[in-house]
Amino acid sequence: MSTLSVEVSPEQQRQLERFYFHEARLLDNRQYLQWLTLLSEDVRYIIPSRVNVQVNNRARGQEDMISIEHELEGEDSMGCPHREEGYMLLMLRAERAYKINSWSENPPARTRRIVGNIELMAQGSDTLSVLSNFHLYYARPGSDNILYSGQRRDTLLSQTDGFCIVRREVVLDYAAIELPTLGLFF
Amino acid sequence: MGLTIRDLVNEDASLISRRCWSDKDVYALEKRGIFGKSWLFLGHESQIRAPGDFVQAFMCETPIILSRGQDGDIYANINSCSHRGLPVCRADHGNTKRFVCPYHNWSYSVEGNLMTIPQESEVVRKPDKTQLGLKRVPRVESWRGMIFGSFDEAIISLDDYLGDMRFYLDAFFDRFPAGIEFMGAPHRWVINANWKLPVENQLGDVNHGACLHSAIIPAEAQQLIEKLGHSVVTTPGHGATFRLMPENTPVDDVAWGMEAVGAIFGGDEVQNYLREIQAQARERVGDLRARMKGLTYGIYPNLSFLWSNTSFKVSHPRGPGKVEYWSWAVVPADAPDNIKKILRTNYSSFFGPAGILEQEDSEVWAQQFLGSNIDFADDRPYYYGLGLGEEKPHPDMPGLVSVTANEFYARHFFTRWKNDLQAVEGSL
Repeated sequence: MSTLSVEVSPEQQRQLERFYFHEARLLDNRQYLQWLTLLSEDVRYIIPSRVNVQVNNRARGQEDMISIEHELEGEDSMGCPHREEGYMLLMLRAERAYKINSWSENPPARTRRIVGNIELMAQGSDTLSVLSNFHLYYARPGSDNILYSGQRRDTLLSQTDGFCIVRREVVLDYAAIELPTLGLFF
Repeated sequence: MGLTIRDLVNEDASLISRRCWSDKDVYALEKRGIFGKSWLFLGHESQIRAPGDFVQAFMCETPIILSRGQDGDIYANINSCSHRGLPVCRADHGNTKRFVCPYHNWSYSVEGNLMTIPQESEVVRKPDKTQLGLKRVPRVESWRGMIFGSFDEAIISLDDYLGDMRFYLDAFFDRFPAGIEFMGAPHRWVINANWKLPVENQLGDVNHGACLHSAIIPAEAQQLIEKLGHSVVTTPGHGATFRLMPENTPVDDVAWGMEAVGAIFGGDEVQNYLREIQAQARERVGDLRARMKGLTYGIYPNLSFLWSNTSFKVSHPRGPGKVEYWSWAVVPADAPDNIKKILRTNYSSFFGPAGILEQEDSEVWAQQFLGSNIDFADDRPYYYGLGLGEEKPHPDMPGLVSVTANEFYARHFFTRWKNDLQAVEGSL
């Protein structure tokens, strides 16, 4: 995570932005079924939980002492991530949004997200590792208005007609969750 | 205060005042009468296996360090320095020899004893450090690895406090030869709700599933739950709901975990593991309890166990209208790591802050607080009378038993709640 991003051409950067801005617009417009088409069928969608950790005394003086990675209980840990989902669960969430008895989203929440800091970190033959940050404003009836803040660590598959998401890990900037739900698509 | 507790809960607890949920004076009495007098869940022994291990906990709003001492014993101390009151432990969990207050570096052993006062060498009269340790929780006891603490030195033993709930808890715990363990740190979810509603929800409210969760739970599944469902109150405030499957039910329909996403997506390896556990169940817990398929459990005042999605939960109050709701995924301690990782999703997919079901629960809990905090409706207490008086003793199971639609679990909770608050009323 300490390295510079891969040097990319303006066109390639523009391709990535176009993909992510399209995705953001679909999600803010509540077009979740169209969003599903951006996912690979073997997609992994992970939200690690985050804890206030004890710093390792022996790492003092080093950046690693307060590395974010120590705070994450992710897929490979023996802790419990908030979400570890494949296509089926993501589809269940997406389809739920269009049921009239999904009471907690009826009336639906209003969201607006800004996706930025898009960096290509590694490139394989047809896969790309991409980082991006988001701020997501969230308002719904009877709830405080909320700011979600986090980073997305994606693996994209490059296809003839664009990209699809093979893996997304969402690093949220919260330990205690003072948010109405982590059930959104970030 | 203008209100008295007897005005808030009527004789048979079928009418519950909105003020029970929203009044700050009532909340102050709850701290004294309930959280100061009950056994409160602190953590599980699997979280603090080695000397020096610690986790943070809460007893109501009071921060607690739960630790394993160098002597191997379990200690619970209030996380507040004897000098200026700061928390001396700032990490959620870890292993340490000392807790050090950042203000003047007073340091404490993992057992809570005051070890050093850096400034002491410069003064003539030395403070008596033996009197200045962290305040110890006076009673700490465990049952099946579950650690509880109480501020009431005179409280009955934890075994007696749990009473016949042990029969129902063992229907789960005793299935696993090595017991259970908690996976990782709790998910901590701050919800603008009163602490009692998550408790009530997990104590016996099975029937909201057909309504609130109808977008997710298929109607046939919910009907089956209600048809086979039993609701039990062993002692007021303690309760369990479960399905009692008919004799000769196929193993896949009775085994714990088989209906959850871990088994559905986990394939043969997970399913065979669950079948093996069920195959031993009759021998381990007896025929009746081997046929139990649990739903919700509650231990007074604020511990819940969600058997169907295998999670322990504690509802920590943060005032009348806010709760910090903690949840842990729970798995058999001797399961292989790869199976534990799959089984934890039984909890996290449906419950906790990202849970597809609990995002619906948390919304109604917050909305219920708004409804409880309105004006001009104090003459309309909430109706808790469904199934009044219909619960009965059962020949084979301890406690009072009824259908899940009977709200007696909540009436019993509020009867105990009322007694506990009346015992300290007027003492503020």
